[in-house]
Amino acid sequence: MKIIQFKEIYLAIGVFVMVASVAVVLIFGLKPGIDFTGGSLMEVSYGVLPDKSTVEASLSALDLGGFSLRESGDAEGRRAYMLRTRDLSEPERVAVEEVMVAAGTDAEVERFTSVGPVIGSELASKAKWAVGAVAGIIVIYIAFAFLGVRWPVGSSVYGAITIISLAHDVLVPTALMALMGHFLGAEVDVLFVMALLAVLGYSVNDTIVIFDRVRENIAKYRHEHKKTVSAPGGIKRDEVTYSFNRPFGQIVGLSVEESLLRSINTSLTTGLALLAVYLFGGEVTKNFALVLLAGVAAGAYSSIFFASPLLVWYAEWKERRSKVSI
Amino acid sequence: MEKQTEVGSAVRIFYALVTLVVSAVVAFFVYQNVSTPDAKYPFKLGLDLSGGSHLVYEADVTGVDTAEIPELMDVLRLVIERRVNIFGVSEPIVQVESSSVVSGERKERLVVELPGITDVGEAVAEIGRTPLLEFKLVDEQALAAEQVLAGLSSDGGDGVKVTAVGGGEAYTDTGLTGRYLQNAQLQFVGQGGGGLSNEAVVAITWNEEGAALFEKITGENVGKPLAIFLDGELISSPNINERISGGQAVISGGFTPDEARDLAQNLSFGALPLPISLESTQTIGATLGGEILDNGVKAGVAGFILVVAFMVLWYRLPGLVAVAALGTYVVVMLALFQLIPVVLTAAGLAGFILTIGMAVDANVLVFERMKEELREGKTMREAARIGFQRAWSAIRDGNVTSLLSAIVLFWFGTSMVKGFALVFGIGVLVSMLSALLVTRTLLLALPDRGKSDGLLGKLYDSGFGK
Repeated sequence: MKIIQFKEIYLAIGVFVMVASVAVVLIFGLKPGIDFTGGSLMEVSYGVLPDKSTVEASLSALDLGGFSLRESGDAEGRRAYMLRTRDLSEPERVAVEEVMVAAGTDAEVERFTSVGPVIGSELASKAKWAVGAVAGIIVIYIAFAFLGVRWPVGSSVYGAITIISLAHDVLVPTALMALMGHFLGAEVDVLFVMALLAVLGYSVNDTIVIFDRVRENIAKYRHEHKKTVSAPGGIKRDEVTYSFNRPFGQIVGLSVEESLLRSINTSLTTGLALLAVYLFGGEVTKNFALVLLAGVAAGAYSSIFFASPLLVWYAEWKERRSKVSI
Repeated sequence: MEKQTEVGSAVRIFYALVTLVVSAVVAFFVYQNVSTPDAKYPFKLGLDLSGGSHLVYEADVTGVDTAEIPELMDVLRLVIERRVNIFGVSEPIVQVESSSVVSGERKERLVVELPGITDVGEAVAEIGRTPLLEFKLVDEQALAAEQVLAGLSSDGGDGVKVTAVGGGEAYTDTGLTGRYLQNAQLQFVGQGGGGLSNEAVVAITWNEEGAALFEKITGENVGKPLAIFLDGELISSPNINERISGGQAVISGGFTPDEARDLAQNLSFGALPLPISLESTQTIGATLGGEILDNGVKAGVAGFILVVAFMVLWYRLPGLVAVAALGTYVVVMLALFQLIPVVLTAAGLAGFILTIGMAVDANVLVFERMKEELREGKTMREAARIGFQRAWSAIRDGNVTSLLSAIVLFWFGTSMVKGFALVFGIGVLVSMLSALLVTRTLLLALPDRGKSDGLLGKLYDSGFGK
């Protein structure tokens, strides 16, 4: 595998994917669900599904403002309608339920959810904080865990690169969500935020395993040179310099190759488990599984084809700038 | 030398057997709790799986001293809890939830969960209704008769139906209710001269009307008990010692200070201490919940089979060992769900299945390392030992970051998110444990051979046989 050799290509692909994802999110936007905006959702299943326009007509008689009525997945072979409205007070809910139940035969209210606007906006701000906090903690941990590695690049660089990879891994599923929102009407709910946070935790794991190998190989192939120099004023101090017996790029390349099978296999087993959730887990967690699958796929790409090439690219750029040979 | 190795392998095989037996015992424990109807540690299902109502009330705390809020919320919780208990729901949950610092304005909320109740209208009406504090006279004869009847009918397995004939109601209304109460507070009174043996009592102050009524009732019923009901539930039945005038009364009944304080609170706050408003509602029908649960279990089994198939096909014998570790992981997780207990939700189940996929990661890391060592000509056992050593730093760093995100998720938490975070966090810890203990013990117990040795060597090969 010539991952490091063609690093510019892989980096370009990664950057392109990130830019495209941002563009998709900006163009289509995310469709916030009632978890965040506040609103009500009522699902009613029927023995025989009544005509949509009749139900809509009788709902219009109530003063609900805008509402949307859609046929939803069938519970135990029964067909159901999903009604979305602004958040309803208790008397309004009773009125709506009466209309919905009267609309068809053998009606059953499968679920009702109503979220006040305050609780929704609170959740939205909490979600932003949580994503930010996870990202922050991860950078700090990595900078700390790689503290021993000062040369050829400092430990904070590993942290920074991990964060860029994380951005990549979160942007891809977010873009997918934006597309699903635009074309399929999928809404961003608490589950989506949870999926994103799980992606953060998962994909950083993937990147770390490769960086761990880099850390190990640096120690293996690095030579330390110590010499005592006299600083002006007669104070003597030890100056430590390092050198490699092969280019840094090769060392990173070797590390990637050594951990490649593991990265692929772990992504595969996680992917298989998520595939099971997607196929058999039912409607509730379908989008959740899909978002996570996208995150895992993006994570696999970024840890193999993005994080390590970026590391080499940065080291080489630094070298060119300082004109000191590694 | 030769002999030592043999003793060593006997011990290793013994450890491996112990590990397998422990896993089997845990599995049996889980199975028992699922199959026995009245098991001590059944799975706790969230409302989205069992069906029920989830109500969130916001308490209006404007104009209330910040320092008093926690206490008032606690009283509010107690009052609502008592009202909820009227439903006879098996395990209702009523809890206070204060909004976190990050969301700016401080909000106090009360979360009410009613498993099995899907008629949200009835629930809302019951919770929102004005409570009733009543004082009733007790007919001790009728009360005794009632108790006997209750005893008879409860063991009347012979088909004999016992019906009360004649006899009055045990409790008769006095017309005195919480409407007339001005306040109630906890007091300590000395008994005789002994300053040490202070007794906790509840002092009541009536308003004018109540004072008159109370004087009349107590005057007519000296020596009899007066029962105090809150929301139809008997909370105390003190004796009337004398006619009480002046609108003051003391309820003594051998209370502990805590009991007396609770009673005083219950009496003063017969009405809700803070006005509440319904902010969010969630109701899931039992059929829908059951279906979601079925799907979750189906997905779990499918996910497990897929991961197992992959591991065995790819890593062969070590893969089989990883499968044993994964099996241990699953049963230990299920046992923890029962023991802690973790409330299982749809999201929690999905999170659990996700961790099944991630749990083999530590094994994969170790196996890949082992293969490298084998390629360098080491024996199986040496390779296993070095593999574990080398893979440790990666396993540690990877899992710590996953754990950190789980902690943040938990903190982020509404109840649904918390469930997921808990499953995710425990999963990370248990998967590390299963890889480091189970996989390691089993791998080291396998016969030690060089890579090229016949059949066994083939079994160690990975799918690529690199």
